[in-house]
Amino acid sequence: MQLHRHALFASLVVAAPIAAADPPPLTPAGPAGPQLPAPADPVTIAITGRVVDAQGHPVAGATVVVEGAATPLRTGPDGAYHLDGARPGATIAVDKDGFQTGLGSVAGPAIDDIALASLEHNAETIEIHGDPPPASPGATKLDRSEAERIPGTGGDLVRTLTALPGVANTQRPSSMSGIVIRGSAPQDSKILIDGFEVPLLYHAIGLRAIVPTESIASLDYIPGGFDVGYGRAGSGIVALTTRPGEAHATEQAEVSLLDGGVLAQGAAGGATRYMLAFRRSTIDLLLPHVIPSRVNLSLTTVPYYYDVQARIDHDLSPHWQLALSAIGSLDALEIFADKAKNPDKRFFDETEFIRVTATARWHDGPWSATVAASEMPEDIDTERGAVQHIDAKRLETTVRGELTRSADHAAGLVDLSWRLGAEADVSRYHLDLAIPTPQHNGVLQTMRDPNDVSTRFDGVVWTPDFAAWTALSAGLGSRVRLTTGLRIDGFDRSGEVAIQPRGQLEIRLADKTTARLAAGAYRRPAEYQDELLTSLHSEHNTQLVAGLEHEPREGIRIQPSIYYTDRSHLVSNDASGQLGNLGRGTTYGAELLATLRGGPWFGWLSYSYSRSTRVDYPGAAERLFEYDQTHNLNAALSWRRDNWQLGARFELYSGLPYTPVTGSVYDSDANFYHPIYGAADSQRTPIHHQLDIRIDHTWHPAGIALTGFLDVQNVYLNDSVTSYSYSYDYSQRFSFVGLPILPTIGVRGVL
Amino acid sequence: MKAGVVLVVVVAAAACGNDTDPRWQLHHDRIIAVRTTPSHVAAGQLAALDALITSIDGGLAVASPVQAASPAAPPGLEAAVAGDGRGGWQIAAPDAATLDAARAALGLAPGAPVPLDLAVTFDVGGELLAATKRTWLGEPRDNPAVGPVTIDGTTPGAAITIPFDTDVALAIDVDPTYPVNWLTSCGSLNSDDNEHAVLLHVERDDPTSGQLAVVVRDGDGGVAWQTWSIDAPPPAGR
Repeated sequence: MQLHRHALFASLVVAAPIAAADPPPLTPAGPAGPQLPAPADPVTIAITGRVVDAQGHPVAGATVVVEGAATPLRTGPDGAYHLDGARPGATIAVDKDGFQTGLGSVAGPAIDDIALASLEHNAETIEIHGDPPPASPGATKLDRSEAERIPGTGGDLVRTLTALPGVANTQRPSSMSGIVIRGSAPQDSKILIDGFEVPLLYHAIGLRAIVPTESIASLDYIPGGFDVGYGRAGSGIVALTTRPGEAHATEQAEVSLLDGGVLAQGAAGGATRYMLAFRRSTIDLLLPHVIPSRVNLSLTTVPYYYDVQARIDHDLSPHWQLALSAIGSLDALEIFADKAKNPDKRFFDETEFIRVTATARWHDGPWSATVAASEMPEDIDTERGAVQHIDAKRLETTVRGELTRSADHAAGLVDLSWRLGAEADVSRYHLDLAIPTPQHNGVLQTMRDPNDVSTRFDGVVWTPDFAAWTALSAGLGSRVRLTTGLRIDGFDRSGEVAIQPRGQLEIRLADKTTARLAAGAYRRPAEYQDELLTSLHSEHNTQLVAGLEHEPREGIRIQPSIYYTDRSHLVSNDASGQLGNLGRGTTYGAELLATLRGGPWFGWLSYSYSRSTRVDYPGAAERLFEYDQTHNLNAALSWRRDNWQLGARFELYSGLPYTPVTGSVYDSDANFYHPIYGAADSQRTPIHHQLDIRIDHTWHPAGIALTGFLDVQNVYLNDSVTSYSYSYDYSQRFSFVGLPILPTIGVRGVL
Repeated sequence: MKAGVVLVVVVAAAACGNDTDPRWQLHHDRIIAVRTTPSHVAAGQLAALDALITSIDGGLAVASPVQAASPAAPPGLEAAVAGDGRGGWQIAAPDAATLDAARAALGLAPGAPVPLDLAVTFDVGGELLAATKRTWLGEPRDNPAVGPVTIDGTTPGAAITIPFDTDVALAIDVDPTYPVNWLTSCGSLNSDDNEHAVLLHVERDDPTSGQLAVVVRDGDGGVAWQTWSIDAPPPAGR
């Protein structure tokens, strides 16, 4: 099987468009008069936006500077502006006499209104905000165009997470329900799409995110110190925003050796935009042909996946915006480790979910509000051998609302924003389980008795969780801004009320230097895996994060940060194996993210140092956390000129701790070996390093912009060990090695 | 539940791709099966304790344990495991009254067999290997019989010669609920734990002579085995 994994990964991935876009319509007459669509540049987009004053009235004659654009724009009588060649992620600065400078960013073709605050400090002047929560120390936002400039991701925006500071890295492309951020467990961080949690980030074969890059507008990464609006998480947040439809319609299709998909987006009428996308794996068509016949393996259902994304945005009125989105994913496989299809050697897994979310946004003067409802059915069906199985059906219903009131001045404070929110999240699980008893203390869980069904459950579990929060953000003069908030979660299953104060202090030390300090309490309810079978209490986390953001010159940003997390009431086993809120732990570390965006250059440097430890129960020895990664370095540099783009990325990171097996005892009746473990997580796999490269070239044959790319991971074939496993009797050990060279070749075309 | 599920997938992949000895390989130091004879021991009766072992140097052998104990024996059964005076070990089921007391202590129904967990150690190729086994006291029961075996469609003698570089079918007729394991040091086995679909294949680079074994378990502590010497002479000139 390992041979074929390598053969699979070494396969050339070819992505080619099989349909092109409709020609875009003429742009309506704007301040600069009628405009013909410029030849599409695959790394820029056409944008439209509006500048308004604090009362929402259009501001005419304002100067709009879009980062990277050759000349400034001026707003028309309706406050509108338009630019054909804006780079996603670029900063927008707006100036107008009598107003403070307004800022925005290119997050998509339709730019949110940029509201200018008056320079006349009138306490009764009010301003529309609807601002996002304040940026946390170390937080980062990525968009599609930047993902394409980081080699080694295959153009997958979500996989750029591996280049971010604080994210533990492993070479193995395995699917996980979460990511490991700042020495936390995967379940401690939340993955949100359009504001709501999804159960997994990658398809089961691990090479693709469940949302293709073309369906994503942006990715927000908040490694810690996050706002009261986020809950039921103890570590970090990864928030994906799906791509809204654009003013002009396009359709595209793409196929590769891994998968193929279609996407259509555009506008229906003046107020409605849509985006629809569907993707299906193609790997299941190829895999049976690359497995040699001598391998004792039967792939009854070759691994395959589907995913679907849909989004409709509708501007109901100047005050109301509606959005409806749906995200779905399905993965399935069935393997017999035996050509005779012996039931004892069967593994079957089918995981599917769909999340449907409806959101309404309203603003009127100083007030704004968001109300959203979301529902997610999820079905996990896993069978191993003849007796072990998990059949978990979940229906999650979430309702959330948040009200914001903004003001320029009040009680001696400036630029105030007060938020009040509430959420109800209720899940109903129907669980039918027969599995080995899970271990929570870092011991190897890989070689288990296939007949071990020591944990059995067949019933219904409800997890009603409720929350309310409030936050006040205000400037204390021109250089200091304080945000303070309180979140109260009610975890009904365990009968807990969790009070979590959080705050952030932002100090502008100099014109281009800002310091941020965040501290807060965070709770994660015990609702992950077998925790559902218990009435355990939530895990407690206290975070302290300090960071600096410095821009020594335009296009260069440096973000160092340090953090400390104290954990208690962690779910763990005691010496007798009894599960409880017994564990505690600490994590501390330092991170650096430096980015360069200037001229033809795009540079990226991230480094993380971390130490994460656990004490599983009172009196137990301290051990390393199983995802502790001491060092993690990512350096990427990309150069673009004319029709060429060249890039390289180097990664170096520590191996993860593991628990060695020192011997075994043979159960003769079961014909099974029970391992004898050494000290938990007392050894570590070797350091890994690899180099990835990427080359892009663009042609314009017959009015079509064609971009071909070659993305090669691990060009010097470093196959360092990622983990170890053992023979059936634990007398022999063997290694998992990292990915072999993985080239991805693709072509994109735009009419 | 997702993380655990994926872990299993990854491990399955690893298990298929590693270069460690497969379970059917007899050219390996290990205990294959621990046996008490009889399988369940009636009150006042004795049972012998031995095992089928295999070692890289010595191949298959039936061996007595170098150490045996029942560290968690029910009350009154602490001395049930003892030396047999000939260098081996045996199980001595106590009288009915002692067994009744053990049943009461364990909360068992009157007349129910009393479990006795054994911890045994064997010298395999100069290394001490540990194993556990459960035997039952208070009722008599024999180990299962090794059913009729066919190799390449014929009933084998003590020594077998099979064709080289050819799939050879191994079959045993036993209760379909009984787990069956085939093992060899000559060639390779496909579906070694399937009583009807096992294929033995000897090809270039394989040893052309060795041993073959089949082990049958009844799922209730009973175990039996049969062994053969085996040859697969390559064609002349190879």
